[in-house]
This record gives sequence, structure tokens and C-alpha cells, in this order.
Amino acid sequence: MPYTEYQTLILRRRGPVGWLLFNRPESLNAMNSVMRAELADAWLELDRDPEVRVIVHTGEGRAFQTGVDVAELATDGLGMERYRADLEAYDLHFTAWHQQVSKPVIAAVNGICAGGGFHWVADADIVIAATTAEFTEPHVSVGQVVALESIGLLRKMPFEAVMRMALVGRYERMSAQRAYELGMVSQLVPPDQLREAAQELAEKIARNSPAAMAATKRALWGALETGLTQACRRGALEIVSVWGHPDQDEGPRAFAEKREPRWADPQRPEPKENGR
Amino acid sequence: MSGTYRGLVVERDGPVGWLVFDRPQVGNAMDAAMLADLPRAWAELDADPDVRVIVNTGKGSAFQTGLDVRQLAGDRDALREQSRRTKKAELRISAWHNGVGKPVIAAVNGVCAGGGLHFVADADIVIAADRAVFLDPHVSLGQASAFELIALARRGAVEPVLRIGLTGRQERLDAARAYQLGIVSEVVPDAAAAARQLAEKIARNPPETVRLVKRQLWHALEVGLSEARRAAATEIVRSPWAATVPTSQQELLGEI
Repeated sequence: MPYTEYQTLILRRRGPVGWLLFNRPESLNAMNSVMRAELADAWLELDRDPEVRVIVHTGEGRAFQTGVDVAELATDGLGMERYRADLEAYDLHFTAWHQQVSKPVIAAVNGICAGGGFHWVADADIVIAATTAEFTEPHVSVGQVVALESIGLLRKMPFEAVMRMALVGRYERMSAQRAYELGMVSQLVPPDQLREAAQELAEKIARNSPAAMAATKRALWGALETGLTQACRRGALEIVSVWGHPDQDEGPRAFAEKREPRWADPQRPEPKENGR
Repeated sequence: MSGTYRGLVVERDGPVGWLVFDRPQVGNAMDAAMLADLPRAWAELDADPDVRVIVNTGKGSAFQTGLDVRQLAGDRDALREQSRRTKKAELRISAWHNGVGKPVIAAVNGVCAGGGLHFVADADIVIAADRAVFLDPHVSLGQASAFELIALARRGAVEPVLRIGLTGRQERLDAARAYQLGIVSEVVPDAAAAARQLAEKIARNPPETVRLVKRQLWHALEVGLSEARRAAATEIVRSPWAATVPTSQQELLGEI
């Protein structure tokens, strides 16, 4: 199935893995208005493709993602005002989390990740990085408030490091090594092997039941919304939701027959109203 | 600085406001006088328009070792007041307790024990001298520990916090391990000097924006992910946009 031709993104599938590439290398993959709109569709396109079991996203060129395209901001007269209505309504659609993507999402950070680029690190399920990747959060140094991406990050890693990046701004960068130590990323790979490593990891994950993984994802991300006891109660509902699913017979049967399981095709559930 | 403080040195140097524990002969422990003066010290630094960043450190070999139990045992009024605040969870010790809006860096120059952990748990950024150690002797003295450990557990890995809480005076966490765990972001020979350099970087950023970011990230520890993001989105829109915006990613980021 051919994917839509996007101006700023490349979508492709390799085996069970759907790839989403930021494709504005000349602008360090900055997100302009076109990319922002295209991302909303691209996530759903991959999430709806039954051949895709896991999604990997990375950047073309030497940057991963460097956030809002400041050249566009500076030149077309709209400035940050273009985002006012979306923020006031809290109506965002450019990350997998915003789009309630049901499949596992891996971010493969191939180079610098700056500012708004953290949205995709914060909102991915799994993050791996090139040993040469760097992280920096310049928002405050140009008078912009950083919050949404840092709030996601601080739920997933030590608070102090997130606060330090947010307050120091463009005057410091975090190395890939430190990001690994802090648990922001789980694997470092030489830059020329990053895509291969991401494909390999995605293929491992693709061997697991899509229905079970989707429910697990909902349970774990849901746990970032509430206290422990309530998260467990909601988690219980997710556990029970897959009882009676065909994958629950197929898994043990395949194991007994010493073969790969043939999982039911992933179904994207109807998202809750108004996204995130 | 205008006021005088008991057990504290409060001063300004360039854009950096210093709040320094100054009872080195007792490990900078907090007596009734220091407890009484801490709210005023935080408030003065927070209100001073020339101060952009506050650094909190200690004189001598200790950073902060908690309540001066011996002094407080002989000062019934002060002890009663501290007990009342504890019961109502209305402490006025740390920057967070006192609603400080500016960035606060804890420069942990030596041992940080028990109630001293308030100043680590409630700081925005924490750096440590290589000789710094962290411990919580409360349970070894028959006291329950809660506030400091709850805040620490919100900031990172939980197991090390429970271990500190339950091993009491029998164990201490060293600076190297604190760095691995992300409790501190830098371990250096001289914590105060490193804190000053870091503070000067932060001071280059516009203060109102910095204040807003700090408030939103702390608010995120109070509520769920979506609610925190929704609240922040509303705040972002209210904030004044930068007058000058760089014209390319390269200009924004510098050398890549």
C-alpha cells in the first residue's frame, strides 16, 4: 500500500515496521506549519495500516528535530500567534501521543534534538539515540516558555535534569551519554548503525501481540495521569479488556507448537473525543 | 542586603543571590532563630529585582543537617511552633515552602542529613561537592520521615529514596551515586563556584519567562500529565512573546 506523498515527511514500511522520517534536513528538520499539519495525518496513516506493527521515527540529515521553524516565525508576519488558538483549546496533533497512536512508537534520535524537538522524545514509548546526539532546550533564551514537552519528560526521567535544561536554555547541551545514564534513552548506537538498530528493536517488538501491547501502552501512559491506586484500577480494566481476544489462544498455541504466533491484525480503537 | 539574619548569610553578588547556612559549628543545623528567619531570607531574595537566581549553600564542612534538636529541646515555644507547622504540613523552611518564584540552585557543599534534604528536594537544580553525602537519620532516632522523601521520590527513582529512608543513619548515599541517579546534575570540587557559573548562565534568560517555566514544571508534580499540559498551554498563551526571535535554527542553536 503506497503512502501519501508528504512535503516535509517520508513514510515507508520495511517488514512490520512503519517509518516516519522528518524530511527538512536543510532546516535541521524544524517543524513549519506544513509539517505540523502533515504529522497529524502521518501518525494516523501508519497507525491504521494493518501491516505496520511498530512505528519508528527519526530525522533525515544531521538533526533529529529542532522544534518550531523560527525562520517561518520571523518572516510571515504571524509569529507565534499562529499557535494561539490551538494552545487555548489545547488541541494539538503533531505527536503520536496527541494522536493516541495505539502501536508502539520508537524515536531514534539521530542528531541534535532541541526545544520543541523534545515533544517527540517525551511522547515516544521507547527512545534510542546515536552516540553523537545532543539535547538542548533553548526556549527561555529567546523569551519563549517551555512547558508541554518538559512536563512529559519530567514524568519519565529525573526532574532535576529536565528543570536544569529548561532554566539554563541555550547555554548548555546534554550529551547522549548523560541522556542514557538518566534513562531518557535506553540505547546508544554509533550514528551509522542507528536505523539498523531501530529496525532490529522494532522487529523484536513486532513479535508480540498487537492487542496486548496496545492495552499495555494505555495502562502505562494512563498511569502518568493519576495516583498509584487509581492507575492500578484503570490498569485492571486494560488487563481484562484483552481477555477472550484470539491472541490469548494463539500465543500459548504457537509456543507449544514452537512457531511464531499469527496475531490478529491490530485494530485502532476509536480515539476519545478531542484527542489530548 | 538590608536585613540581618540569625544563622544565615544573605547577600547579593551580581545577578546571584546567596542564602548561606552559617552555623558551621553544628553542621548548619536549624535552631529556632534560623527557622524564624528563613522565610524572610527567601522573601528578600525573591523580591530583590537585581537577583535573578538564588544559590543555597552552607559554610564549613556540612551543607545542612536538619533541626538542631538539642537547641529546640530547650526552647519550648519554638518546638511547639515547629510541631504545629509539621502537623499541618505548613513548613516554612525551603524555597518551595516559601513560594519562591526565582530559580534556586542548591550547592551541596558537604553532608546533607535529615531535614537538610528539604533543601535538595525543593530546589530546582542541585549540584554537589565531591565530598557531599546524603542520609536521612530520622528512623534511627525514632522519628518518621515524610516531606523530604516524598518530594525526592517525585523527582526520580523511588527505590533509592526508600532505601535512604529505611536505612537511616546506617547508610549514606555519596555524591557519585546521587549523580548517577539524577538527584544532582554536577559533581565538582567546589560546589559554590560551580553554582555561581551556572547561575550566571540562567541569569542571561529573561526572568519572567524563567519564572513561568519554573511554575509550570512544579505544577506538573501536582496533577496528571494531561492536566499539567493543559494548564501549561493556557499559561503559554498568556505569556509575553519574545521581542526578538532568531531567524534560523542555526542562529538559535549555534554550532551543530
